Amino acid sequence: MSTESAGTAQVADLTNCDKEPIHIPGAIQPHGVLLVLREPALIICQISENTEALLGSRAQELLGRSLDSLLPASQVASTRASLLSDRLQDNNPLKLTLHGGDRERLFNGIAHRHQGRLFLELEPVAESESLPFFGFYHQARGAMSRLRDAKDLRALCEEGVREVRRLTGFDRVIIYRFDPDWNGQVLAEDRLETADPYMGLHFPASDIPRQARELYVLNLLRIIPAVDYVPARIVALPEEAAQGPLDMSFCVLRSVSPIHLEYLRNMGAGSSMSISLLQEGRLWGLISCTHMSGSKYVPYEVRTACEFVGQFMSSFISSKEGHEHYDQRIRTKSIQGRLLERMTRVVDFAAELCQSPPELLELTGATGAAVYFNGRMTIIGKAPEDEQLQGLIRWLSSQPASQEVFSTNSLLRHYPESEGFKDVAAGLIAASMSRGRHNYVLWFRPEVVQTLEWGGNPHKLVDVEDDQLRLHPRKSFALWKETVRGKSLPWKDYELEAARELRRNIIDIVLERSEELLKLNTELKRSNVELDSFAYAASHDLKEPLRGIHNYASLVLREDAEALRPTNRTRMDTVVRLTQRMESLINSLLHYSQVGRMELSLRETDLNDVLSSVLEVLKPRIEEARAEVRVPEPLPPARCDRVRMMEVFTNLITNALKYNDKEKRWVEIGSRRDPELGSVYYVRDNGIGIKPDYHEAIFRIFKRLHGRDKYGGGTGTGLTIVKRLIERHNGRIWVESTHGEGTTFFFTLDSEKEPVSELRPFGGESGR
Amino acid sequence: MNRDLPILVVEDNDEDFDMLQMTFQGACIPNPLYRCTEGEEALDFLHQRGRYAAVKSAPRPGLILLDLNLAGLDGRQVLEHMKNDGRLKSIPVLVFSTSDNPKDVQSAYANGASGYLLKPVDLARFERMIRLFKEFWLDHIVMPEDDGREVAHG
Repeated sequence: MSTESAGTAQVADLTNCDKEPIHIPGAIQPHGVLLVLREPALIICQISENTEALLGSRAQELLGRSLDSLLPASQVASTRASLLSDRLQDNNPLKLTLHGGDRERLFNGIAHRHQGRLFLELEPVAESESLPFFGFYHQARGAMSRLRDAKDLRALCEEGVREVRRLTGFDRVIIYRFDPDWNGQVLAEDRLETADPYMGLHFPASDIPRQARELYVLNLLRIIPAVDYVPARIVALPEEAAQGPLDMSFCVLRSVSPIHLEYLRNMGAGSSMSISLLQEGRLWGLISCTHMSGSKYVPYEVRTACEFVGQFMSSFISSKEGHEHYDQRIRTKSIQGRLLERMTRVVDFAAELCQSPPELLELTGATGAAVYFNGRMTIIGKAPEDEQLQGLIRWLSSQPASQEVFSTNSLLRHYPESEGFKDVAAGLIAASMSRGRHNYVLWFRPEVVQTLEWGGNPHKLVDVEDDQLRLHPRKSFALWKETVRGKSLPWKDYELEAARELRRNIIDIVLERSEELLKLNTELKRSNVELDSFAYAASHDLKEPLRGIHNYASLVLREDAEALRPTNRTRMDTVVRLTQRMESLINSLLHYSQVGRMELSLRETDLNDVLSSVLEVLKPRIEEARAEVRVPEPLPPARCDRVRMMEVFTNLITNALKYNDKEKRWVEIGSRRDPELGSVYYVRDNGIGIKPDYHEAIFRIFKRLHGRDKYGGGTGTGLTIVKRLIERHNGRIWVESTHGEGTTFFFTLDSEKEPVSELRPFGGESGR
Repeated sequence: MNRDLPILVVEDNDEDFDMLQMTFQGACIPNPLYRCTEGEEALDFLHQRGRYAAVKSAPRPGLILLDLNLAGLDGRQVLEHMKNDGRLKSIPVLVFSTSDNPKDVQSAYANGASGYLLKPVDLARFERMIRLFKEFWLDHIVMPEDDGREVAHG
C-alpha cells in the first residue's frame, strides 16, 4: 500500500499570492485529525499524517479501515446515522470517544460533504471545555439583544468585537470593512490595554488575496490556534490520490498560506481567528481576532457561538448601515434646514451659501466648496484657485449632462488636470443646478492621506523599513497609503444625499424666484406703462392751465403794462417767471421719470467724440463763463448709450461752469485706470466745492444747495438724472470735493453686463 | 392762396382756443375758423350729421388743427377715423398738442398726420409758431383740390 502526498510543493511568495491555490494545501494544522471517508462503509480513504499523537496509530495503519473500528460499540450506530444523513452538518459536533492506543479520548467530530466526499475532522476536547448550555444561552441572549439594539453600524461593530472577545478571550478583536476596491478599514477594536491600537488603520486589498476572500464567503470561520504549527500532510489510498488534490475549502483544519503565517508572526500574533461578515452573499468585512500571548485554541462550541455572532451581525448590517452615523444624519437634516432658511432669507442665496457659519461644508463633510452661479464664483474653505476652478467648471460643462450630481473620490482619474490641486480637491461632488447655464455647487475633499484620523498615536506608525517585516499591518498601512495617492475619503451615501437635497432646494428657490421675477416683471411692465402715461398725462394736464396763466399774464403785461402800478407790474412779471419755472420743473420731472425706463442703446462708443459734441453745444456757455476746458489725454472707449452719455457730460460740465466763482475758471475731463473698477472717468473743476455733509444729498431729487437764483438756478434734478443714467449703465458715481477749492465727480461705466432696468416710484429718491 | 379754406380746430381748452383766435387775428389769418370741443362732435362736423346736418353749418375743412387730449373720443381716434375714411383722408391734419410723449408723436404720423406742433408755455414762441404756420400752410403749401368724392382708382 503506497501513499501519496497530494500537497503543493511550491513556496508561495508575495508576488504570486493572488494565484496561490490555498484551497488545496495538501496539509492541515496538526491540532486535529482530518479523515476523508468513503460512504456507505465509512472507509478511511484519506487521512492526515498526525494521527499518532492524537489517535495512537500511524496514518498508514488507519488508511483503508472503517471508522467503525475506531468507535466504541455504543457510538457506532448513532455516528453512522449522523454521518450518512443528508443534513449531516446539523449534527455537528459529534461527541466521539475514540480509543486510540492505550486510552480513550473525547473528540468533537465536525463533518461536511464537499464534491461528493465525506470529510470528518476531529478536534480533541478537554473535559473542562464542555459548556453548560444554559449559561451560554443566557450570555448569548444578552449579546444578541445588545447587537440588535445598537443604534448604528459603529455601535454594532463595537458590540460585536466586545462580544467575540468576551467569548474567546483573544487579546485583540477588530472588525474591518472592505471598500469597493477591497481595501480594508478598521471600524472597531477591543484589545488588551497593552496592545497597539489598530483602530482607523487601513489595509490594502493585497493583504487578503482574492481566492482567500472567495473562501471566506464559503466558509465563515477560520482558526489558527498556533501560528508556528508544523503542517500535517494528507495521505491517501492510491485510487484516491489519483483523483487529484483534495479540495479543503470547507475544512476547519485546512493549513494556511505561509505568507499569511509570516504576516501573523510579524504582528506578534501567536494565534488567530477570523469570522466573515456577509452582505447579500458578498464579503462585507471580517471579525479578526489575534492573540499576542502565544497559541490559543478555541473550542468548537465557542467558535460556533462566534460564527453565530457574525451571522447575527451580518443580518443587521444593512439596517444599521442605514442608520450609520445616525447622529450625523440627523445633524445633516438640521443643517439642511438652516441652509434653506438662510437661502430664502437673502436675495443672493449663492453668496449666502459661502458665508459663515460654514454649514455648506458641514453638510457633506467637505473641507472646501465653491458656488458658481450666473457666472459668479464664491468660495468657502479650502478650494482650488480661481483659474483652476474655471477649468474644472469648463470640464464639468463638457461632460454629458446626464448626471445631476457627479461625485468621485478620485478626481484625477476623471480629470487629470486636477493634479495641480489634488491637495485640496482629490474628491469632488458637483451638483449641477441648471441645464445650459452651468450653475454648480462644488464640494472638495483633500487627499485622504492628509486627512486620516488616528485611533491611536500616529507616532507609533513606524514605517517598517526592514524587509524582514514587509508583512505587517503598519507596513500594510504604509502600502495602503501609497495606493490611495490622489484619492480622498469616499463620500458617504448620506453626504451625497445631502448634496442632492440641497440641489433640489436650490432649484426650488431659483424656480420660485424666477416665478416671482416673472410676476414682478409683468407687474413692472404694467406699472411702467401706467407710470409712463401717468407722467405724460400729469405733465400735460399741469401744463395746460399753466400755459393759460402764462399767456394771459403775458397779454396783460403786453397790452396794459403802462396802466399797471409798478408793484403790480412786478407781480405780473413774477407770475410769468413762475410759470416758466414751473414748466421747467414739470419737464425735469417727466424726464427723470423716464430715465429709469428708457431703452438704452449700448454700443462700443468713443467717448472723445461724445465729449467734443458736448463741448460744441456748450461753447457759448463756456465762452460766457470764460472757462478753460482741459482734456489732458483721450478718454478710453466704453460700452454705453451715446445720447445718454452726452446728457451726463452736459450736466456735469454745466455744473462745473455754473458753480464757480473763481477769477479763472477751469474744468477738466479725464480718466484713470482702477484695478478694481476698470476705467474711472472724472469731471473736475476749481469751483465753489461741496461740503462733505452734502456729498450724498446732492444726488437727491429737487435737493438744491443754493438759492433758486444763485448760480443761474436750476430745478435740482440734473445730478439725480446723471446718477440714474450712470446706474443704468451698471456704473457708480461719487464725488470728492474740498469746499471752496473745487469738486470732482467720478463715475464708472460697466455695461458689459445686462443693463439695469429699474422701477423707482415716480419722483422718488435715488439716494443710496 | 389757401385763404378761403375753412380751418377746423378741435380743441377742448377754452383758453387755448382763445389764444389761438387772438394769435390768428394778430397774424392776419383770414380763413374761416370753426371749432369743435369734442371728438364725437368733430366727426359729426366732418360727416355733416347731427347738429351739423345743414351743409352750410359745416363746410368741408381744408385743414384741421387737432388737439389729442379730448374728453370722450380723443384726438388719436378722430385722426384714425378720418384717415380710414376715403372721403376725409386727404384733408391735412396738424396735431396741435401739449403732449411731447414720443409715442403720441409716433402714432400721429403713423396715422397720417401732416405735422405735429407742440404748444409751448411761452407767448412769444406761440405767436411765432402761428406766423410760420400761416406762411407755410396758408401761403405756400399746395392743397388738394378735393370735392369730397372718393378718387377712383383705376
